[in-house]
Amino acid sequence: MSLPDDQSPAPRPLRLLRSRTAATVLALTFCVGLVGSMAFLVLREIDALSTSNSDNLQWSLAQADVEYMQFRLALELAEKDQVSLRDLRRRFDIFYSRLATLESGAVYRGMRDARDLVEPRQNIQDFMAFAVPLIDGPDADLQAALPELQTAADAIMVEVRNLTLAGLAAFADDSDQQRQQVMGTLIRLAAVLAIVLAGLMLLALALWRLNRLASLREAEVQRTAGRMRTIVETSLDAIILSDAEGRIREFNTAAQSIFGYSRAEARQRDMLELLIVPESHDQILSLARHRFDPDAVASILPTLDRTLDVKAMARGGRTFPAELSFDRAAGADGPVYVAFIRDISRRKAAEEGLTEARDRALASERVKAEFLAVMSHEMRTPLNGLLGTMQLLRDHKMTEAQSDLLDHMQSSGQLLLGLVNDVLDLAKFEAGKLSVEQKPMSVKRLLDGVVETISPLAAANGTALSWHWEGVEQDAIAGDARRLRQVLLNLLGNAVKFTRGGSVEIEVETLGFRDPKLEFRVIDTGIGIAEADLERIFLDFETLDSSYARQVGGTGLGLGIARRMTGLMGGTIGAESEVGEGSLFWVRIPMLPVADMPAYNGPDRRARTLQPRMARQAPMTILLVEDNEINRFVARQMLIAEGHEVIEAHDGMSGVEMASTRAFDLILMDISMPVLDGQAAARLIRAGKGPCARTPILAVTAHALPEEVARFREAGMEYCISKPLDRGELLATLAAARQGATEVARVPEMSPSTVDALLDTAHLERFWIDLPEAAREALLQRFTDETARDIAWFADKPTDDPALQAQAHRIAGSCAAFGLKALRKHLGQIETALKQSGTVDPALITALPNLWARSHTALDLWCDEARQTV
Amino acid sequence: MTTTTVTPSFLALALGGLMALTPLSARASDLAQPTGEVLLSVTGDIANTNADGAAMFDRAMLEALPSVTIQTQTIWTEGLQTFTGVQLVDLAAFVGTDAESLRATAVNDYAVSIPSEDWVDGGPILAYLNNGAPMSLRDKGPLWVIYPYDSKPAYQSEVAYSRSIWQLDRIEME
Repeated sequence: MSLPDDQSPAPRPLRLLRSRTAATVLALTFCVGLVGSMAFLVLREIDALSTSNSDNLQWSLAQADVEYMQFRLALELAEKDQVSLRDLRRRFDIFYSRLATLESGAVYRGMRDARDLVEPRQNIQDFMAFAVPLIDGPDADLQAALPELQTAADAIMVEVRNLTLAGLAAFADDSDQQRQQVMGTLIRLAAVLAIVLAGLMLLALALWRLNRLASLREAEVQRTAGRMRTIVETSLDAIILSDAEGRIREFNTAAQSIFGYSRAEARQRDMLELLIVPESHDQILSLARHRFDPDAVASILPTLDRTLDVKAMARGGRTFPAELSFDRAAGADGPVYVAFIRDISRRKAAEEGLTEARDRALASERVKAEFLAVMSHEMRTPLNGLLGTMQLLRDHKMTEAQSDLLDHMQSSGQLLLGLVNDVLDLAKFEAGKLSVEQKPMSVKRLLDGVVETISPLAAANGTALSWHWEGVEQDAIAGDARRLRQVLLNLLGNAVKFTRGGSVEIEVETLGFRDPKLEFRVIDTGIGIAEADLERIFLDFETLDSSYARQVGGTGLGLGIARRMTGLMGGTIGAESEVGEGSLFWVRIPMLPVADMPAYNGPDRRARTLQPRMARQAPMTILLVEDNEINRFVARQMLIAEGHEVIEAHDGMSGVEMASTRAFDLILMDISMPVLDGQAAARLIRAGKGPCARTPILAVTAHALPEEVARFREAGMEYCISKPLDRGELLATLAAARQGATEVARVPEMSPSTVDALLDTAHLERFWIDLPEAAREALLQRFTDETARDIAWFADKPTDDPALQAQAHRIAGSCAAFGLKALRKHLGQIETALKQSGTVDPALITALPNLWARSHTALDLWCDEARQTV
Repeated sequence: MTTTTVTPSFLALALGGLMALTPLSARASDLAQPTGEVLLSVTGDIANTNADGAAMFDRAMLEALPSVTIQTQTIWTEGLQTFTGVQLVDLAAFVGTDAESLRATAVNDYAVSIPSEDWVDGGPILAYLNNGAPMSLRDKGPLWVIYPYDSKPAYQSEVAYSRSIWQLDRIEME
């Protein structure tokens, strides 16, 4: 609890007062100095007064008169012979001495200089000059000169008088001046003393105010302390104060009730030992070290959690979880520690309960999702059986009515399968089992496929369906073609469903430079969606409440799944619509352009164009490993219909056994099987030395996720086909496997330039024109069959096998005949290397199957074109 | 500035010492008779006399007493002066007195009392030489009580000035 008053510096008025006081003190010091110096002056004056520079001046001056008069009296008496000449001489001498004193004495200097005394002084001196020889002369002469001397003495009477008076006046002036000087000094002193007094009064005032402020603050501090006491005592947390050694000093009410010790009992006990279990001591001490060690890096401190979860110990040894926070404060005698301890046992219990409840809820949620996934999966298996059987039924003769019924059954079955797949997708998504891949793909190929898939439905509704690029084309991107296809199929399916006799258009456009996006816009001229409904169409199980929507059906999961898929790909999805005008659904995904042409993905025309020729393929002996009877039945029927021989195994283990007893041309392997699943079985077959160790294995699975396909391949299953079995797809895959080419899914897309690089088209054209059609086709067939076999022969030969050179030479020859120039050149390199060094770079050998596959595709494409044009 | 030079006279010292040893001065002793002109007569409470209750001094007798020479300025003269004479304390000791003050009277009948507190060593003297020469009556002689004014401010007071009696010829111990 921080109280602002405690932390802020002295409040403003106090500071002001202090500075003013300081100024006053300074001024006073100055004044005192002044007084001191003035006092010194005054003392000097007093000193000067105390040492007199004159004796009794007035008396001395007056005495001059007296002595003059006595001298004159003596003169007169001497004339009458009443006094002796000796007495006269003495009187003269005394008078002379007096005048000499006035003439020469230092104290009379000021008087002597007075202008109006110059003449009297001169006259007196003249008299003296006249009198001295007579006085000093013989008695007779003196006696004779007495009358004359008297006349002269009478003559200077006024002068002597004037001299005395002028002296008195001069001294009066002098003492006046002196008095005034002393007065002036005293007045100045008084003035300074008055200033000092005023200053002292100011100082007293300032001190009084300081004192008042101090007492105000003291009262405030006391109030604060009182508040603090109240806060401490009413706190629900234990508040404990300890000294630097950890001995308890204060123990508030909450602490007493939490720990069960009275204040007196707790006092002076060691806080840690009394209240905290020993195991928690280290925790507290180490935090204290971090907090209070001056060497600790200061920057770490704020990041440290200031509270600790510890185990506290109440009276009687009861322990409970507690939250502790503490800090250090400066006390009167060294630091004190303040600790807050809160009993958190109830909170802990609640937290545990919550965690448990959450875990339970999550677990049951997971169980639910898993249940849903398993159920959908389990539903799909019998459904696949039904659909497969219906396909087989078409091989039998049926009346038109029966065929119609079968149509209905089949479309209902497809719808049901769609629903199950949707639910499965959702369940997988919720279980967190869906992922997206980033693989090179072709936008054009994707949209072509989607449009082709939906075309029949659009055609049935009389709706035109097409797609086009807006702006710059960016065909090759990295993305998840399968998920994108799913989203687009959904949007397009909806658009077509709700559009009758209009148009559905897909626009593709790249957006932005810095963070480019690819936008697909599905624009229809259908019934549209009300503004209010646009928000909720992407929610799960949301079907718009219109008879038409009900009419076309759906789980309402489609757009929800599309939204999830888009989100999974890091994109966004949205819609705009006008009722009656149509709708626009858009999908925006991050676009990652790739330089290479994307690998070809998924079934396409190519598979279909191959299909008719596959029908002509030589019969094979095929091992069918499948635990589900219906599935087994469907697959067997499809294969037998193509003229193949089918041997069945009911689980993985028996499949492996079967494969070890005899050679098969091909193995169809279900993935989910009891006893031994497909992957394990494939591994065993590949690992064994049995006759089927090299036999192509087709994985048959309902859940062909990208990583799963990779795992299948790793287990030795080069091909993958999804359930439910589609006759066309099955046959195409069989053909591919039979040819030993890389799987269909890996056949690269061909551009004219690629074809040119692989084939000598000029040579092929001559070959095509020169030969009759029947011979041409037979030759081509034989060539491709033989070359496929021969290329496969290379696969596991050691690189220094002596037969290699002859074989390479032979294949190179036939390649030249059919214009496969890239392959011929490659074989030529192998041949040359063998001829020169007897061995060959293994990379050249391993590159062969791929090059052959590409050449073969190019050849097929070229021939297809040629057949159509010629 | 005051320089005091003490010229001790063994006889005077002996006498003084004798006097000091007999502070009650119950026994009067006779002083030598003056031979020259009497410059000073000391009367009153004195132990040693050479006349009827008086001690008469001529110049020679005074010069025989312990003398000091001081240099000082005075307010009545110009420039630094040198005075030589007998310290009052020595004179008092010589005549043997218990008096608390002396009454000094001048030729012109100016009179002043000098209390015994003033008769101290380094205090006032009875000067008979000014600047090494005897003083005539015209020069405030022949005897002049001189305080060493420059030696301390107390001697620069009107009291000291008024006690500085010149043309002195009589002293009465009282």
